[in-house]
Formats: sequence, C-alpha cells, structure tokens
Amino acid sequence: MKTWQRIREKPELLKKYLVREKVTDTIRNFFKGLGFSEVQTPILVPVPSAEPNLEVFETQLRTAGGEKRRGFLIMSPEYALKKLVTAGMGNIFEITRAFRNEEEVSPWHNPEFTMLEWYRAGADYRKIMEDFEELFVKIIGRDKFTFQGEEYDIGLPWPRISFEEAFLRYAGRKLEKVKDEDFYQLFFNEVEPKLRESHKPVFVYDYPVSQASLARKKRTDPRFAERFEVFLAGLELGNCFSELTDPIEQEARFKKDLEDRTKLGKTLYPMDADLIEALRTGMPETAGIAVGVDRLVMLAADVPTIADTLFFPGNELFGL
Amino acid sequence: MSKINAGNIAKGMYIMYKEAPHQVMKADFMAPGKGSPIMRVKMKSVKTGATTEFTYKTNESVEVAEVDKKEMQYLYRDGDEIMFMDPKNYDQAGVPVSLVEDQVGFLMPDMKCWVLWFDNLAIGVSLPPHVDMKVVDAPEAVAGNRINAPKRLVKLETGVEVLAPLFIKNGDMITIDTSTGEYISRVVK
Repeated sequence: MKTWQRIREKPELLKKYLVREKVTDTIRNFFKGLGFSEVQTPILVPVPSAEPNLEVFETQLRTAGGEKRRGFLIMSPEYALKKLVTAGMGNIFEITRAFRNEEEVSPWHNPEFTMLEWYRAGADYRKIMEDFEELFVKIIGRDKFTFQGEEYDIGLPWPRISFEEAFLRYAGRKLEKVKDEDFYQLFFNEVEPKLRESHKPVFVYDYPVSQASLARKKRTDPRFAERFEVFLAGLELGNCFSELTDPIEQEARFKKDLEDRTKLGKTLYPMDADLIEALRTGMPETAGIAVGVDRLVMLAADVPTIADTLFFPGNELFGL
Repeated sequence: MSKINAGNIAKGMYIMYKEAPHQVMKADFMAPGKGSPIMRVKMKSVKTGATTEFTYKTNESVEVAEVDKKEMQYLYRDGDEIMFMDPKNYDQAGVPVSLVEDQVGFLMPDMKCWVLWFDNLAIGVSLPPHVDMKVVDAPEAVAGNRINAPKRLVKLETGVEVLAPLFIKNGDMITIDTSTGEYISRVVK
C-alpha cells in the first residue's frame, strides 16, 4: 500500500505528515524575524559541489537549436549562496531540494531531500551555534522533548565540546594521532555514544585541518578549522563553517577534492571557477551552515525514519 | 566463509560481529565531506537478542554469517519460543520469539516455513509469502463512511489485526502478504 492510500484509510496518520509544514513555517518566521532574506538558487546547475565522497545525479540540457550542456542536480546550494553573499546580500537563507546518488535509501537518507542553509555576513561559527539552538527550540516548542521513547533536554545553551577534547576524554586518543580515514569511525564507535548518554544535543567543533572542507583555519590555532557539527539522538543535524574566503586556498582544495573524485571513480566535472572569481572579488567574513530539514521534521514528529515524514518516500517511489 | 564490503550491509542480513552472528536491524550509510564513507549498523545478536551499534568504514570487509535453511512445520508457541518440527524425522526446534518479531501473528498450525540455522541453533524463520487466514471479528462499517474509509481493521484467527475492505465479513478467508502484513484478496470458496 502506498502512503497516500494509507492516509486515505487512516486519516489520523495525516497529523504527523503535517509537522513538516509547521517546521518549514517556523524556519521562515525565525529567519525573517532576524532580518534575513530568503533566496532561491538553481537546483539544476552546470557545475555541482566538489564533494569527494558524494555521487551526483547527472542529466543533459538540450536547446531547440541543438546546443548540448551537461547538467547536474545540486548536492548543496552552497556555492550559489556564497556568490550572493559576495554580491552584498548580507544575511540570507534558503530552503531547497538537494540530491545525492548512490547512497542507500535508509532510515536517515532519501535520494531527494530538503536542505536549509543560512549565511551570516560578518560572523563566525559561534554565532551560527546560537542561531541553531534557538531555531531548534522554536521548532520543538519546549525545553524537553521525547524522541522514540527517549527524553532529551534541549534547554539553552547547548553543550559545546571541541573534537580534541572529545576524543581525549571519551576515546583516550590524541586527535593529531587519528588518521583521516579512521576519524568518523572512531567518532561514532567511541565518542558519539558517550555524548549521547547526556540526553542533550551537543555542538562538536574545531575539526583537524585535514577535515576542514570549506572552513577557514582557526586564527589562534592553525591545527584546526572553524567547523562544527551538531548531534542529537545519534543524528547529525547540521554542518557549519566559518567560510574559507581565500581564493588560492579554495582553488587548491577544489583540485584536491576533484583528484579524490577521480581516484574514487566518481562522476567527473570541472571546478566552479565562478566561485573562485567571487572569492577573488572579495567575499566578506561569513559563517554558514547546512541542515537536513527532513531530520528536523523526523525529530519534531517523533517518527523513526525520514520516509515517515514524506508523502512519497524514495523507496516507495522507486520500489527499493 | 564469505565476506562482503561493509558498504553492502543491509537490513535483514546476518553478519558476524565479535565472532557472533547478528541480524542487521538498520544500516545507515554516511559520506562525510572528508575521510572514509562509513556505514552505521544497528544489529541484534541472534544468540542473546542484545542490540549493538557499530560503525564500519564502507570498504571494510565483514564476514557474512553462514545461515542454513531447513523446511519445518510450525507447531505452537511455548512461552518465549516458537516451536517447529522437521516432518522427515520429527525433530523439534524452538526459535526465540524476539527473533521472529512481527511475523508471529501469521504463523498457522502445520504451516511449512524455512527455519534459519546457525551453528545448530535455530535463529529465525522465513514464512511463505502469502497465507490464508480466517476473519473472526469484522466490525460493521459505519454507515456513510464508505467513501473515506474503504477499509477497516479486522481480527484474524491468530489474534492479529489487518486492514481489509468493507465487504469482508466474519468467517471469510482472506489472503495476507506475510512480509508487509497487508490484505491481498478474499479466498473464493
């Protein structure tokens, strides 16, 4: 039976699906109340993000006159948003669809998903932590909530811990001795379960610089990058950077990421030269974050999978 | 002994973890921006029923638990065990209810099932895809609600409840899909 058929038979099921609408409204009201502008950027682009580990959906654009171009569905709207920050738009946010190919359709992933990103000009990642915790409490509407039988205390402010301290305290490991390839495995096997015991959300910040992605180096300690992830109930809810604004460093990281894609046998494409151009023009100091909206809805609706928040989940649509 | 990449672990599979067979309850792939993609796996020991979580790198090699299948007949439920019999030699075996989960309600006396074995231990059961069961309690449909609620819950002979169309009455036999627990059709006498 399809989801629409189940809802038709048991109209009370609709209640949990309507949580998405409330979550989206809360997000919009929250950012508009803070004076952010809501923007829309393309989902179909000529150059997607240079993510070494993610696979992209590729298509082809053809004009009536016979022109052909490669086209890709975005994995994230980040490049377009950074260009708008450079254009001088100030604080902006976007709620968009994003896509990832070659991932298992699993309880926490759907090939097409909803992503929220916001960028604050003139701010760093600490300000985004405050935005995130305030937004989340607004979405839930209380200081405590129950998810899948476990109660969580989300009263402000949320705990913050650096990766260095978390690895040392919970795994007895010095962060600089942890190899990149072991980083997340060690984190999820030894660190994250301990963090979860507190039944509170937690911001884990300051990544080793090899895991910087698009984050800038910490000025006070260049071993680390100003990046955080926020975790609750074993789920990663958001990934934030004090954005890298150095065009030379960005170009070097792009080249490395695209080389990694080649090694991993992923779809190949050029780097986004227009973003390098934007950084050269001068992007202001900015912090930005990407948040999986489907996961927020899942938590707010207290349902075990993302599929339970979607009228047409990927596994049902594609018979997976 | 066969092995797979951790990236191919999926729900329902049996894998070896710390030298003990486990049934995979949930497997979630994650590709961080940097570093190795990982597979976060939630699994249940088929010996103790205890659940564990472990994160693998997707390119790590994981041993598959060698599970054998034997066709057996369902006998009865004995407390926390479901009892089966081998029709060839009348040997009996019990499978813990905790390892059969939501399929218990579709087991009918004498039904032939595939019992899954590991190390001479019965660890699970695979039911026939469809089963015919008798409706024992089909409430009268509320008048006027036929358009919005073309189905309602009916109780079957084993006590399990499924959604069935309004024309299904007490005493009818209906065919159920055992993997989803959904109504398929009425059995024509």
